[in-house]
Amino acid sequence: MSMSFDNENGNLVCIFPHRLDTEACTRLEPEIFGELENFNNSVVFDLSQVEYVSSAFLRICLRVFKRFGADKFSIVKVSPLVKKVFKIAGFDQGMKIT
Amino acid sequence: MDKTPETIVDQIMEKATLAAAVFSTLDQAHTDRIVRAVYEAGFNARVKLAKMAHEETSIGRWEDKVIKNVVATQLVYEDIKALRTVGVISEDRERGIAEIAQPMGPILAVIPVTNPTSTIMFKVLSALKTRNPIIICPSRKAVRCCAETARICYEAALNEDAPEDCVQWLTQVSREETQALMGHRKLALILATGGGGLVRAAYSSGTPAMGVGAGNVPVFIEKSGDIPFAVNQIFVSKTFDNGTICASEQAVVVEKTIAEGVEGEFRRRGAYFLSKEEIALLEEVAYDREKKVMNPDIVGRPVDVIARKAGFPIPANVRLLMATLKGVGPEYPLSSEILAPILAFYVANDFQEAVKICIDLNYHGGIGHTVSIFSNDDEKIKRFALLMNAGRIVVNTPSSQGAVGGIYNTLSPSLTLGCGTSGKNITTENITARNLLNIQRILWRRPNLRLAQFDMSKYLDESQDAKTIESEFNRNY
Repeated sequence: MSMSFDNENGNLVCIFPHRLDTEACTRLEPEIFGELENFNNSVVFDLSQVEYVSSAFLRICLRVFKRFGADKFSIVKVSPLVKKVFKIAGFDQGMKIT
Repeated sequence: MDKTPETIVDQIMEKATLAAAVFSTLDQAHTDRIVRAVYEAGFNARVKLAKMAHEETSIGRWEDKVIKNVVATQLVYEDIKALRTVGVISEDRERGIAEIAQPMGPILAVIPVTNPTSTIMFKVLSALKTRNPIIICPSRKAVRCCAETARICYEAALNEDAPEDCVQWLTQVSREETQALMGHRKLALILATGGGGLVRAAYSSGTPAMGVGAGNVPVFIEKSGDIPFAVNQIFVSKTFDNGTICASEQAVVVEKTIAEGVEGEFRRRGAYFLSKEEIALLEEVAYDREKKVMNPDIVGRPVDVIARKAGFPIPANVRLLMATLKGVGPEYPLSSEILAPILAFYVANDFQEAVKICIDLNYHGGIGHTVSIFSNDDEKIKRFALLMNAGRIVVNTPSSQGAVGGIYNTLSPSLTLGCGTSGKNITTENITARNLLNIQRILWRRPNLRLAQFDMSKYLDESQDAKTIESEFNRNY
């Protein structure tokens, strides 16, 4: 399963596959940061298909958050289970997660 | 010369220590006679003490405080009366383990202004049942009713030859004295029920403490739930004692398909849905933005008083103020815990979104406490429960009474509700006398036969891996 990218009004929407385990993240990480290189508009992680996230994915979120900040990075369409993972990780304190 | 806080506290602790020493010699029958006498005295004073608490604090309704006093005496007594709390309380010769119940020692009971008399009676019964002397530290706003409650309990205990000073109480409460008591080397335990600051102070004192966390209870009316029943139960719960129970509902979450029906049912029963302007006015009087907590001036006050303070009129038959909100967090003050007849109201597109709103509310100041669901779909109830961080997930039940226990379920009745480590508590249980014992274990020799038959030299051989050792260790002879 691979991820896809969409451009919505100049903003980058990253649509992830259903299972973001360590192996998938190792494969996807260069792809994501390749897309983000020299990119300065807003970034949206669309997790509508995601059922599982690993700590590797949480680290990717942190890297993107550090680079773009709360104003330009958001995570959307999370399932309740994934939302709980973000809550426990404490990500809801800074990141926009809906 | 005036006594310093340290001198006063030393004297209190001296008396408590002597009481603990004498208490440790009492047998089960004598202990049970004392507990029964205290229960009867407290129960018989339930109306008088409820009225005193209401008059002194202006919080809640005296009729509801009577019910709280009944829970704290009759239901608590029924729950603990058969409990063995003295000497050998269990013995399993086959396993070679016997348990001995020992008292902990002097207990400091921190009492909240919202439930003063009931919390004292609950804590005194629990402490005396476990042969622990208790020192009552009341809220500064409820000193008189607390002193009277403690006096009634103490005199009843003395009439059954309880140790002198087994119940003591402060009649003047200073921060210095409270802190000195909390950190006193002879104090065994703090039972801290009250505001966040006090509970944190208890945990920081160096003395073992059992505290409570704050609540911010979401109630999810799932679409399979019985709407009139659910709304009726939420009304019963949220208006009880004007919303002063920390397990009372703080926000109603409904799915869009039933939102209109739920709203109509609330209106029919006397709920007033606030306009945007009224919500803004209410936020200013209900919430202290600087301290990020509810404003104590509106705690347990009736709706007409709250509306008057906020500066808007409400019809005479209104019993509950409801605020439709779009989000959760500091920018939505009414999404926080507010112990008054005020409820937030959220409409979600579907089950998934409703659960996500409940997670947000749960983590917004109410982590580990209580959540509530009205549903007739067991699968969804379980899905909801697994995603919440709450010691109590009450189902088709008014959450105030459901979380306290003993009324709508078989949970032990308690006025101190543990919130687990997420709520900075040691347990998610309802605290009872069972938590106030030091359990000693006699351990007779019962050798581990598998270990005895195992060739221990194999542990020294690095070539033996875990699988090989495990297979050998568990071999059937």
